[in-house]
Amino acid sequence: MHEFDWSSIPNALPFLWDGMKISLEITLSAVVFGIVWGTLLALMRLSSITPLSWFAAGYVNLFRAVPLVMVLLWFFLIVPHLLESLFGLPRGTDMRLTSAIAGFALFEAAYYSEIIRAGIQSVPKGQMAAASALGMTYGQAMRLVVLPQAFRNMVPLLLTQGIILFQDTSLVYVSALADFFGAAYKVGDRDGRLVELLLFAGAVYFVLCFAASRVVRHYQNRMKTA
Amino acid sequence: MISMNKVSKHYGSFQVLADCTTEVHKGEVIVVCGPSGSGKSTLIKCVNGLEPFQSGEIIVNGVSVGDPKTNLSKLRSTVGMVFQNFELFPHMRIIDNLAIAQVKVLGRNPEQAREKGLKLLDRVGLRVQAEKYPGQLSGGQQQRVAIARALSMDPICMLFDEPTSALDPEMINEVLDVMTELAQEGMTMMCVTHEMGFARRVANRVIFMDQGRIVEDDSKEAFFGNPRSERAQQFLAKILHH
Ligand SMILES: Nc1ncnc2c1ncn2[C@@H]1O[C@H](COP(=O)(O)OP(=O)(O)O)[C@@H](O)[C@H]1O
Ligand SMILES: [Mg+2]
Repeated sequence: MHEFDWSSIPNALPFLWDGMKISLEITLSAVVFGIVWGTLLALMRLSSITPLSWFAAGYVNLFRAVPLVMVLLWFFLIVPHLLESLFGLPRGTDMRLTSAIAGFALFEAAYYSEIIRAGIQSVPKGQMAAASALGMTYGQAMRLVVLPQAFRNMVPLLLTQGIILFQDTSLVYVSALADFFGAAYKVGDRDGRLVELLLFAGAVYFVLCFAASRVVRHYQNRMKTA
Repeated sequence: MISMNKVSKHYGSFQVLADCTTEVHKGEVIVVCGPSGSGKSTLIKCVNGLEPFQSGEIIVNGVSVGDPKTNLSKLRSTVGMVFQNFELFPHMRIIDNLAIAQVKVLGRNPEQAREKGLKLLDRVGLRVQAEKYPGQLSGGQQQRVAIARALSMDPICMLFDEPTSALDPEMINEVLDVMTELAQEGMTMMCVTHEMGFARRVANRVIFMDQGRIVEDDSKEAFFGNPRSERAQQFLAKILHH
């Protein structure tokens, strides 16, 4: 039977914490950009301007039909080259974090836009009519009346999607970027304690995600009674 | 103030409005009634361009609603509208419901807008509710807030689409009282309603619609006295019965 030896974890904590910071940075940036871009996509999808709604529909369907890990690989391979040639950056600048954030954000935006589109449609039509009747432009009515209500209804779904995204950040291991999972893997590999490190990492992911989803649930219940 | 000339609208082959022609003068109160589905809501939503129409012409205060060059938002800011389901903004306090369009559309400063909002709440007897959210108010109170919200824009006329249909019976009068007061102050009003008592009290004219057509457009005395069309007679008999 395997003898567990956890001794390499305490010394590795600072390194693991650096990894966690990268995971959180990717998650937060991708959630923020994903929601902003997702909102724009949802508005395009719902707009009466046909080319816009086709573009948004095409975008969403494309990104929902390819595996995330592949999108990430494309970005690791393409974005650095693109930036190098666009801005004349020196070859070999480490662009993996930027690429990862861009890849996640663009991918997640496709999912967010569907959540947001449903959220917008869940706001009664009369709200837009009432806002328009007061003289608000379409943009004002969306921004001041419809979207705030849509987002309030969507918060649990958006957070849940954020939790999934946090777990998915571990996929950046394909670029050898030391996120939390990557850092745990490196330490385990170096010390020959892979099993222990991966169990530890799994436990951390579980505790964080489970706690976060409890918070979401609590919020949901509070909203129901309000 | 409002003039409609041969306004028609259809969804595909279904004719919602057919050659509707009428006129509302300054200070007049017009009651629009008719069976459900006859096009009453569509008709008054055409007045402020919430519903587009395919042919005919509507002129509001000298501005053509159907003209693509018309700034509809600007036109709507001068026409108050009250909906069957109140449509207060549930995520804003009552006072913010009254202030937001004043600030964002008319460019009034927030203090002024608040001041004006409170005055109007006072007028509909709801000043103490200013800091609450719409969900905390009864239906009748919400509808009075909705009327105050429309008035906060200093409209030149008011449109009402069945303002009391979604209310419990005991709350109908508090809303009708506010409307009656408005009418007596000389507000130009176009009201879709089945409240015939209200019509008798304050209306100048009654329009009766059926299947997208304006079937009767008469003084209230003539309408209640002896409506010409059989449909209007049947409708009145039914509605006055209960
Ligand atoms: N978007 C729509 N598509 C097709 N038919 C519609 C639409 N909106 C309303 N209608 C129809 O137009 C008719 C008139 O509706 P409405 O103006 O709401 O009547 P009322 O207010 O008199 O009850 C109804 O028969 C309704 O079914
Ligand atoms: Mg109606």
